[in-house]
Amino acid sequence: MRSEFLKKVSVLVAAGAMAACGGGDSGGGDPGGDAGGGEAPAAAQVDPATVGTISGTINFAGDSPAPTAIDMSAEADCAAGYGPDGPMSNNVIAANGRLANVFVHLTGVSGGPAPSGSVQLDQENCRYMPHVLGVQVGQNIEITNSDDLLHNINASPTENRGFNISQPRAGITSNQSFPLAEVMVPVRCDVHGWMQAYIGVVDHPYFGVSGPDGSFTIPNVPAGTYTAEAWHEAYGAMSGSVTVTAGGTATLSFDYSSDMAGAHVPLGEPLVIRHGEHGIEVHRGAQD
Amino acid sequence: MRSGTLLKTIATFLLVGAAGLVAQENENGRVLYDRWCAECHGAEGLGDGSAAASMLPRPRTFSQARYQVRTTGSGQLPTDDDLMHVLNVGLPGTTMPGWPNLSDQQKRDVIEYIKSFSRFFAAGPAPEPLDFGSDPGGGPEALAAGAQAYLTLECEACHGAAGRGNGTSAPTLEDWRGFPIRAADLTEAWALNGGSSVNDIHTRVLTGLDGTPMPAAIDAMNSGVVSPDEVWQLAHYVASMGPRERPRLREVVRVERASEGLPQDGSDEAWGDIEAFFFPLAGQVIEVPRNFAPTVDGIWVEGVHDGSEMAFRVQWNDPSRSPDSEWDEWQAKILATMDLDGFEAPALDSTGAVTVRWPDAIRLQFPFEVPDGAERPYFLGGTTRQPVYLWTWSSNDGVGEGRGRGYGSVEPLPGELQGTAEWQDGRWTLYLRRPIAAGADGLTFSEGVPIPVAFSAWDGSSGETDKRAGVSSWYYVLLEQEPSNAVVVTPLIAILLTGAFGLVLVRRAQGRARA
Amino acid sequence: MNLKHPFWQGVLVLVLAYVVIKWGIGYLLPMIGVPSAPVPSTVVTQYMLTVLVGVLLYMSAESDRWAAFKAPMVRTMVDPGRRALRGILLVGLPLLVGWVAYQGVKPSFGAPATLRSIHPAPPNSITFRGATMELAGLENPLRHSGDMEAHLAVGNAVYTRNCVPCHGDLLDGQGHFASMLTPVPADFTNTGTIVQLTESYVFWRIAKGGPGLPNEGAPWNSAMPAWETILDENETWSVILFLYERTGSTPRTWEEEGAEGEAH
Repeated sequence: MRSEFLKKVSVLVAAGAMAACGGGDSGGGDPGGDAGGGEAPAAAQVDPATVGTISGTINFAGDSPAPTAIDMSAEADCAAGYGPDGPMSNNVIAANGRLANVFVHLTGVSGGPAPSGSVQLDQENCRYMPHVLGVQVGQNIEITNSDDLLHNINASPTENRGFNISQPRAGITSNQSFPLAEVMVPVRCDVHGWMQAYIGVVDHPYFGVSGPDGSFTIPNVPAGTYTAEAWHEAYGAMSGSVTVTAGGTATLSFDYSSDMAGAHVPLGEPLVIRHGEHGIEVHRGAQD
Repeated sequence: MRSGTLLKTIATFLLVGAAGLVAQENENGRVLYDRWCAECHGAEGLGDGSAAASMLPRPRTFSQARYQVRTTGSGQLPTDDDLMHVLNVGLPGTTMPGWPNLSDQQKRDVIEYIKSFSRFFAAGPAPEPLDFGSDPGGGPEALAAGAQAYLTLECEACHGAAGRGNGTSAPTLEDWRGFPIRAADLTEAWALNGGSSVNDIHTRVLTGLDGTPMPAAIDAMNSGVVSPDEVWQLAHYVASMGPRERPRLREVVRVERASEGLPQDGSDEAWGDIEAFFFPLAGQVIEVPRNFAPTVDGIWVEGVHDGSEMAFRVQWNDPSRSPDSEWDEWQAKILATMDLDGFEAPALDSTGAVTVRWPDAIRLQFPFEVPDGAERPYFLGGTTRQPVYLWTWSSNDGVGEGRGRGYGSVEPLPGELQGTAEWQDGRWTLYLRRPIAAGADGLTFSEGVPIPVAFSAWDGSSGETDKRAGVSSWYYVLLEQEPSNAVVVTPLIAILLTGAFGLVLVRRAQGRARA
Repeated sequence: MNLKHPFWQGVLVLVLAYVVIKWGIGYLLPMIGVPSAPVPSTVVTQYMLTVLVGVLLYMSAESDRWAAFKAPMVRTMVDPGRRALRGILLVGLPLLVGWVAYQGVKPSFGAPATLRSIHPAPPNSITFRGATMELAGLENPLRHSGDMEAHLAVGNAVYTRNCVPCHGDLLDGQGHFASMLTPVPADFTNTGTIVQLTESYVFWRIAKGGPGLPNEGAPWNSAMPAWETILDENETWSVILFLYERTGSTPRTWEEEGAEGEAH
């Protein structure tokens, strides 16, 4: 049971020593990519003659972090849902030179087609599915519990109002949305300290999340030159430039590396708290 | 037209006056806030005042307007009445007091100022309280249904089966800023920050405590997992888990004289007939390193003797059975985020794991001799000149006797103290037994005389060791004496003498009157 | 009941004396701002005996008054018309005495009364962090140097971090640990505490705490730390300024102290 917190603390206390929270193969299920992109913006509103597609890759150099096992002994029902290796974290997934669970979105853009339909956030075998997802401002997030046990969904944004609701049984659905753009909104299950998700809220439909192969796709982008930003919970944020031509496919890649562990991770309103004469510092949110 | 102009002038005057009044109010609020609130909540309302790091839970961060005690839905802003309620009564179990020194108007000014730290209040419509329905009432059936709802909503995941805050998820709980936070001990309702009444508890269940891991159960209720009545019954059940008020402090433990044999262990049914005494513990905030937020806030003591031996049962709530690796993360968080007042926390290893695990421990402290007058050793562990006699227990080393020459120092003594301890559902039960007469070094307990006693407790999983403890003042144990004839004879003699004296007086007076 | 009758006058004096000693001293005096405490029952008995002797002395000083005083009692003992009352008294009074005797000998489980001096006499000088400090005539140096606002800010921070757990945010002795301590922490808003004391006295109490009390102050019971191990001289004087400023009170001056000293 290791939460995000120890990562922060260990960075502060052990000066860069990595907590054993990182990466690994997904123990089962799809860690994100497709579902994370949400329902694609409604094609009907888009004139195909004016838009192109961004197709990208998140590269990862250096040693991939070792897969992290989750101690699910307290929830035998969840643990039973995994193979012989047992439950593995799907948070940081870097393999074969690619990095998954990176949220990529265009900046300096707003508007575009309104969201249609809901984005799904499922709780399955005591993990969030997907781990990273993107939604549009005001878009409905349908949060469901596929486990027949208690989860609470505790979202702590700083631009938006948060929520913290319980779903003690399988089949319960709660609908939530965020009215303001915010990259990223952390979501945590306090019952299971290892369960963490991040929701990127943007006021346009031009975003994507990298899959296990490090690839992402942002379709239906109006022709033009954009700045794109990538966000990862352990390796931080970076930006790049991309030019989209009508009917074309622009490529965009971000190069992360293992050296970036412990990088600054922007997360909503910065909130650094220094306490007392011993200068205790706590950085809210993901590893910083 | 003239009257129109006049009206306009008056209206302008009123508007300007009102605006000035509002500004004045905020100024009043600011002055009051800076004076009474800023040292904990910070001048900018970030919850980072100079004393904040010694507090568990932490002072509120006003900029995010996440309030625990509300009548509104999860994630919503509190109403002004919610904020006023907290200013009136404080948050029990925390360092936040009520503010009877402020007038209602002053409290309203402070509330306006606190709200101005956050953009959320200005942005949205005024928050509306939820409809909480009405209480269908308590009673045995309601309590049984409430106990079922406690299981259905899996309250025990954090609060534990018996409600003592020892659920499997308790060690990993943190507030929204990442600070460690405890699952409430529901058996100590007097320390529930949202209040101890059935209404209070019902409201907290439905609204959740924003900023903490405590979720709102309203979606679960609306989707039919529990009915509205069952949520009320849950509130009745939780309110029934322990006394509403903190037990009254009685300074003397009455050690009864057993009619037949001493209890043989901590679970002996004979304890059921023996009166238990509650002693609250404060943090050891006297000698550095101080402990501003102790885990153990009180202990129960029962005693019985048979003229040659005595037995005690000591019980206290501690959500962790230290040392326990499940609580490693909790310990690391506490030591990383609390003001340790100079305590040198052992370094974590390269994976961020703790390298030292401390045991739970308790100490009963006595003088070496029953004092003649008022004088006794220093209550905090004695001194070199006047040491204290200690009964020690730790989850690693069991029971022992010792001599203390200052807080934290224990020189072991040989002795006949025996004992066993058991931890169950967030509560330690320690059974102690010793002959009344001491061996070579120690206190021989006299019957019928109050003997000073003081208590200390440590929760190893919260990094409590050495001087980082919960402590009590001096209290007393008193071994009940064998019933003596004097209790009957003395009043009888008094009655006879007075009666005889009265008769003689009357006779003499009557004789004189006749003469 | 004729209040001009010496007997009833005597009874009235006794009743009034009992009410005043038992409740008046402990509860009425604080209402007019004079610090006080309930009178222990043994002391009540002593006072009442004194009053009784006084009443008897007064009544027997003149033979007429003495006769008048005794008359109702004598009548009760001899008058055939008062047979019933006589019987009740002859049975009731011995029972009452028996009950009192029983209260005295029955096993008691109360805490022994502990008397301690709340403001014991201070020493003439103390050793503060190794340096000798004369207390007599000592003023708070911060009242005459530096920026008062800055001193108060230091005092506020020192108070909140160190003193609030026991003495409370409102300085009323109601901190969150207060109810767990015996004796209870001082209430600075009470006129019986810092207002009665010079700042040098308060400095001594803070610097030396419970362990520095003389025996009549029961140093073994006090949870007040010896703050010289934690607070330096400037912090101590600052927090003293803060105590008076926040409670809107002023310290006792050396002039007042001197006047009192001469009067005694």
